Amino acid sequence: MTSLPKHSVARVLVLLALGHAWSAPPSCGQPAAEQIGVLPDDYSCIVCHLKGGTLWTETTPIVDEQALAGDVHWQKGLRCHDCHGGSPTLDAFKNHRDDPTFHSLRPRDKIPGFCGRCHSNIDYMRQYNPSARTDQEQEYWTSGHGRRLKASSEGENPQIDMAVATCVDCHGHHGILAVNDSNSPVYVKHVAETCARCHSDAKLMAGRTYHDRPLGHDQFDQWKLSVHGRAMLEKDDLSAATCNNCHGNHGALPPGVNSVANACGACHGKIAKLFAETQMKHKFEDSGLPGCVTCHGKHDISQPSDEMLGITDGTVCARCHNPGNPQYGATVAGADVARKMRSGLDQLKHEIELAETNMREAERLGMQVRGPRFDLRQAFDALTNARTLVHSFSPGPIEAALGEGLKVTSEVNGAAKGALREYTIRRIWLACSLVPILIVVGLLLYCIRSLPTPTHSG
Amino acid sequence: MDRVDRLYCFLRERLGLDDLQRLASKKRIPIHGSTHFYYFGGMALFLFMIQIVTGILLSLYYKPSPDQAFESVEAIVTEVDFGWLIRSAHSWSANLLIGVLFLHLLTTYLMRAYRRPREITWVTGVMLLGLFMAFGFSGYLLPWNELAFFATRVGTAIVGIVPVIGPQLLLLARGGEEVTGDTLARFYSLHVVVLPLLTFTLLGAHLFLVQKHGMSVPGREAGVHDDRAGSPSMPFVPDFLLRDMVGWYLALALLAALSALFPWELGTKADPFSSAPEGIQPEWYFLFMFQTLKLIPAYIGPFNGEVIGVLFFGMCGLVVLLTPFLDGGRNSRAVLNVLAAIAVAFFIVMTAWGWFSKADQQLWRIVLGALLTTIALFLLVPSTNPKTGARQMLYGFMALAVVVLLAAACWEVLA
Repeated sequence: MTSLPKHSVARVLVLLALGHAWSAPPSCGQPAAEQIGVLPDDYSCIVCHLKGGTLWTETTPIVDEQALAGDVHWQKGLRCHDCHGGSPTLDAFKNHRDDPTFHSLRPRDKIPGFCGRCHSNIDYMRQYNPSARTDQEQEYWTSGHGRRLKASSEGENPQIDMAVATCVDCHGHHGILAVNDSNSPVYVKHVAETCARCHSDAKLMAGRTYHDRPLGHDQFDQWKLSVHGRAMLEKDDLSAATCNNCHGNHGALPPGVNSVANACGACHGKIAKLFAETQMKHKFEDSGLPGCVTCHGKHDISQPSDEMLGITDGTVCARCHNPGNPQYGATVAGADVARKMRSGLDQLKHEIELAETNMREAERLGMQVRGPRFDLRQAFDALTNARTLVHSFSPGPIEAALGEGLKVTSEVNGAAKGALREYTIRRIWLACSLVPILIVVGLLLYCIRSLPTPTHSG
Repeated sequence: MDRVDRLYCFLRERLGLDDLQRLASKKRIPIHGSTHFYYFGGMALFLFMIQIVTGILLSLYYKPSPDQAFESVEAIVTEVDFGWLIRSAHSWSANLLIGVLFLHLLTTYLMRAYRRPREITWVTGVMLLGLFMAFGFSGYLLPWNELAFFATRVGTAIVGIVPVIGPQLLLLARGGEEVTGDTLARFYSLHVVVLPLLTFTLLGAHLFLVQKHGMSVPGREAGVHDDRAGSPSMPFVPDFLLRDMVGWYLALALLAALSALFPWELGTKADPFSSAPEGIQPEWYFLFMFQTLKLIPAYIGPFNGEVIGVLFFGMCGLVVLLTPFLDGGRNSRAVLNVLAAIAVAFFIVMTAWGWFSKADQQLWRIVLGALLTTIALFLLVPSTNPKTGARQMLYGFMALAVVVLLAAACWEVLA
């Protein structure tokens, strides 16, 4: 062991490996600055797991030094033995198989516990983050992934294999980045891609089911084209919904049929509240319809439009409230409500467009209509509000909102027309003013003609 | 003797009205083919008076601060009774005034009215033109709208190019490194205090000299007659005054039509932190300089292109100012005539080019401008001697204006 590279620069970045296992959480160990940059000369892991180490062979697992240097744990001062156990010193080193303190990650069902030793221990975690969560492992075992892993490891169902996601599949292993690091695979913008690594793999998903329904493998492709996916990927809107917003993070599981509205309501709170207070919600539940998804779709949710509303062909209401072929007990009265709501929205849109046209014309003619243009925003707000209130499925609130919008458009239209009238008045006024001016010019010309012809001076 | 007569007698005795009456009756205006050129001076004076009246009315409501300037102008055109008309009249009459002054300068040059002993009259006139252009430049920023803000930024940056004193001039013009509220404050002060004082002084001197030396008679007209005393003329009062008033009333009618039919745009409020919008341009009378500076390459040989451009326009201005002293005989006059023709053509082409590069809905202004230019030049034809080069030069300008008109019309149709 004396031939160990004592001053190798690579030591600075090294390893990970398998060392002594320890039963208690690793010591917080004051991540002293000297530990981050330099490993002790007799640090045992580098002997095998650093490429070029004394006992390194082609078959020995090695650590990506660059990735490890950026690892959040490494940067906090944790070293190989803090996670993997074993003895970090050469003198006390034992072969991993013979070392009872070495903590193995195999088989895969040991991984959640491996991470959970620290991440489920609030006393340990609060040293790094006073408000750290410590329920991830607990959540994980309730997730679809965790349940399958458990069932597989306990031999409950031999048809279920262990190829389900664990901590390292999403977060990585050596080179784990903080969640808010934009390069992390679980950074909000990368979550969908990370999930898609498995869930878009047709071979991996083949034959897998949830509640006897195939899992499918096109969710990511659908989400990319959805209103949420476009907002996230094209507009960099990090508040847009991605996989974990609806399915959960560590406890990932599809929301139940009756919980869909709650999942959507996490962001669309007002709409969810309106929907929860309607009879429609109960009817959906009774019919086994998955709330919001029934009209808006799942992963392929498109930009909602007024064209979805009403009972004409192509509208979502008409799917059930079809007078000729009602579904799920949909009523004719409901069809009337849908028709009225659509009609009201169309009327307000028409009035807004009319006001816009009149204002543009007034502006084109050089008239000032900045005030009315500002006021028109209230009509747009009323339109948005009415669209939201559609989810109450009640004509009253919608009519009230539409009424406010129509009142504003009426005032704006009046102001715009007033500006156009003012323009006309100006032209008339101009014509009137030109008459006396031209009369005076005529009189002047008459006076000039009546003057004696100018002659030589003198 | 009634009260009016008594009042007249009272004033006559105290104000010396008899002297004024004698002066007015004595003043005569020469009659010749170019007599109507004399109307441009009176028309400019009339438009200047409109500027004063409308400017005073605007100042009652205008607030010269970045936070309030735009809003106050907006209030003037939307809330104040006839505020839109006053603002439009102020803006339109300013532009008409500059146009009339250009014509006044050109026709004065064509008549060679700057000859001895009227050199100083010419110099004061050119300086007045410079002052009115400064009025336009300073007034352009006052509404504090986006276009004016960025145009002023560009315009004052050009001042900074002047060799040696440029940086100091830039600081003086802007009141700092950038166009800010300080710039607005000093532009306002310049517009309503400094420039009016200078203008009144110079205008007084200009009018005094016009009265002192009388109206100039073009050389060829004077040569027709044996002596000045024998040339045909008319009394200023009432013959010429009445004719002048016709011009004033026609200018008033045009001003009313423009103000009512094409209210001056206000645009959007300036945001110093936003990027400059496309199509930033100064007023049309600075466009020829702006366009030229845009076209000049960054470096001409070892010299900075913009510096050369600024020096070139400075030299041009100096030549115009010193024209009476450069006209030393037949040969130098021929050189001046060629330079004048080139300068007018350059002005028209560069201005039109500037408008074309804007390429938006304002294109109709080019059509209108070219059309008016053609008509104006056509009206000048009878006043020129067919045997001289002046008539040929006029035809040349007319052809150029027609080309611009047709090009603008084609552009409008094809675009």
